[in-house]
Amino acid sequence: MRYRVYASIGLALGILLGASGAGHASDKVKAVASFSVLGDMVKNVGGDRVEVTTLVGPNGDAHVFSPTPADAASLASADIFFVNGLGFEGWMERLENASGFKGTLVVASGGVMPIAMREAEGHHGDDAKDGAEQAEADDHDSYADEATDPHAWQNLFNGKIYVTNIRDALIATDPDGKAVYEANADKYLAAIDTEDKAVSAAIAKLPPERRRIITSHDAFGYFANAYGLEIIAPEGVSTESEASAQDVAKIIRQIRKEHIPAVFLENVTDRRLLDQIAAETGAKIGGVLYSDALSEADGPAPTYLDMFRHNVGTLTAALAS
Amino acid sequence: MTPKPAAPAIVFRDLTLGYDRHPAVHHITGTVARGELLAVVGPNGAGKSTLLKGIIGELKPLSGSISLDGLSRRDIAYLPQVIDIDRSFPISVFDCVAMGLWRRIGAWRGVSAGDAQDIVHALDTVGLVPLAGRKVGSLSGGQFQRMLFARLLLQDAAVILLDEPFRAVDTKTVADLLALIARWHHEGRTVLAALHDMDQVRAHFPKTLLLAREVVAWGSTKDVLTAANLATSRQLTEAFDAHATVCDRDEELEREVA
Amino acid sequence: MIDTLVQPFVEFAFMRRALVGCLAISLTAPPVGVFLVLRRMSLMGDAMGHAILPGAAIGYLLAGLSLAAMSLGGFAAGLAVALAAGLVARSTVLREDASLAGFYLVSLALGVMLVSVRGSNVDLLHVLFGTVLALNDAALLLIATIATVSLATLAVIYRPLVLECFDPQFLRSVSPLSSPTHLVFLVLVVLNLVAGFQALGTLMAVGIMLLPAITARFWAEDVSGMIGVAVGCAFAASLTGLLLSYHANVPAGPAVILSCGVFYLVSMLVGVRGGLIWGFVPRKHLEA
Repeated sequence: MRYRVYASIGLALGILLGASGAGHASDKVKAVASFSVLGDMVKNVGGDRVEVTTLVGPNGDAHVFSPTPADAASLASADIFFVNGLGFEGWMERLENASGFKGTLVVASGGVMPIAMREAEGHHGDDAKDGAEQAEADDHDSYADEATDPHAWQNLFNGKIYVTNIRDALIATDPDGKAVYEANADKYLAAIDTEDKAVSAAIAKLPPERRRIITSHDAFGYFANAYGLEIIAPEGVSTESEASAQDVAKIIRQIRKEHIPAVFLENVTDRRLLDQIAAETGAKIGGVLYSDALSEADGPAPTYLDMFRHNVGTLTAALAS
Repeated sequence: MTPKPAAPAIVFRDLTLGYDRHPAVHHITGTVARGELLAVVGPNGAGKSTLLKGIIGELKPLSGSISLDGLSRRDIAYLPQVIDIDRSFPISVFDCVAMGLWRRIGAWRGVSAGDAQDIVHALDTVGLVPLAGRKVGSLSGGQFQRMLFARLLLQDAAVILLDEPFRAVDTKTVADLLALIARWHHEGRTVLAALHDMDQVRAHFPKTLLLAREVVAWGSTKDVLTAANLATSRQLTEAFDAHATVCDRDEELEREVA
Repeated sequence: MIDTLVQPFVEFAFMRRALVGCLAISLTAPPVGVFLVLRRMSLMGDAMGHAILPGAAIGYLLAGLSLAAMSLGGFAAGLAVALAAGLVARSTVLREDASLAGFYLVSLALGVMLVSVRGSNVDLLHVLFGTVLALNDAALLLIATIATVSLATLAVIYRPLVLECFDPQFLRSVSPLSSPTHLVFLVLVVLNLVAGFQALGTLMAVGIMLLPAITARFWAEDVSGMIGVAVGCAFAASLTGLLLSYHANVPAGPAVILSCGVFYLVSMLVGVRGGLIWGFVPRKHLEA
């Protein structure tokens, strides 16, 4: 009798081990991307050779993301971890240490010329001149560094840099797939390039005095610089800070004084404040812009390029009239 | 204050009251007649407070019953040992005493001129008129008791229960309050007072119930407060018996009857 | 000088609305707070504030930043916790403080877990910190309605409530209103917290309820006096907080509560009743 019990336990263990062993038998590269934009890029470059897990999913806010044990588990078994860098993922170090990650960490924004954070009133991006010095200062991941704007992917030119970095990292990890990765990347880069030109053209078509917007989250610095749009935001760079009456008053005054036509919501923050500002100034609520995260698969911005198409469409619709 | 019509009797039928299945008082049977002035005495832990709490309805009987001949519990005025009152509460003596008029003014009616007069009259009876505006927290022990008696006065109840009303109170106050009790008795109200001072009882209370978790003696004070009875009452246990078995006195009674 | 004080409200509608909202809250929450303080239930206010949050969070999960959903959810959660705690306190060995602690902690943990599992934690921060600068018509209407209902109810249960605080045993002996009064009072606490959380967020809503009431102890002699001082203090703090937020560029909700805090500290030092400073000033005693 007793030896039957031992036999069944042994069998059960064997099955479990076997199943988990079978899991490891896959020869796909296991990649983890920190947020949905990166996840989309990695899927495009990696194709079938890469299995991608995204930590901060659609409509999620990476600024206030809190990793769970499940995230640590995915990271632990990953070969390669793609992050944005530039201070975007304040929780990254903690997660790396907690999970005992042994793979390669890839900072997608490596080589990008960062710009400094804009102040609440929205200055023009002359701060890009400091790029070279900034690049060194930004190598550390501490979230306390608020001087750098991390949303570099909002400039499609930077997007190309990201893709290149991703491609090279995948090749380094999985040299057998070099041809595939290069082919995928070339196709993707071409698509990005086309979109880049389209965005520039669309914005340029708007009359110059209409190229200014208010949006609740200061995530469009790179977009503004690259495509000639002026952005004013009522809160600081992260969604954690709360607006003061002075901030709100400044925005309203500016909208009134300079006749800014539209106010845009953003998919990760509170719309009530913007509603209030719009009501008081008569500015239009232009719609929702996607900045830090893609939408769900059935939403208007499920991929990186779709995000741009949607954002530009929304912007031009509100600003052209 | 007009004299009340005949106050009802309180009837105890095999009453057991207690906490957590341990009886504090066991199998009490007896009657309190209308207009009676009854002292409830006994050693510490005898169950005096428990009995009064049972009458006012704070405790549900573990077995047996209490009946109040036609009167509701709301018609009884009860003065507990003063633990629950928040003396730091910012309320004046006048307002506190005014609460005694609850049966008349309820939760919402204002205090009329006539009501105010009654309140002042009550304060005067206990000698607290000069302190009417003070906050209750500034009163001495004796003054506080007087205030509570004034409130009782206004309640104008047919049955009055007093639980150790003279504990930690000065002798002058005690004398005045005893006079008040005598007046109530004269007005035909039923008064029960749990007391510990036997001399006081002998001097002012015609009837006594000697309790030591069960009835030791009940009747006229002279007959009850004998040395023998007092000795018996001291012998009966004070503490709850932690390992008590279920009381089988009921079953014995049934067997006897059968 | 007057200009500094008045100009922000003249120029901006959002400032006017914020002021109206805060004034409405200042009228209704501090009186409830006075009773909480007198009944030694001050920390219960804080516990209830935490109990409400999960309800609001669930409302948000189901319907987004909808005023109706979050308010209803918050109200339901607060009420459930208060009633359950009261019930347990009356029918088991636990006293009120322990039973309340048990329920609100469970409620809070449940709320946090639900939100983490289902939603993004971004907007939860806005629920926590409130948006007094973004009170739309619906929110103002909600606050005004709650204020009206609360004040009317308080007027009705005033006498039984005072007695409930002062001598609950006496109330039980003369009236069946003891339990209902207690219950209605708990409902008022929850209602006012819901109103407060719309304006100031759940963390701060408790502040506007309790701090002015605590401050009033240093000035007033009786209950109605305390209520008057508390309301006045809350008004003043609302005004001060909003002006600070405007001129000194600090978040509005915390500014209001910190103003309450400053008034409290000052009152503790120089308040007419029991201010610390009077211990050092020799005063002759009275005749009698």
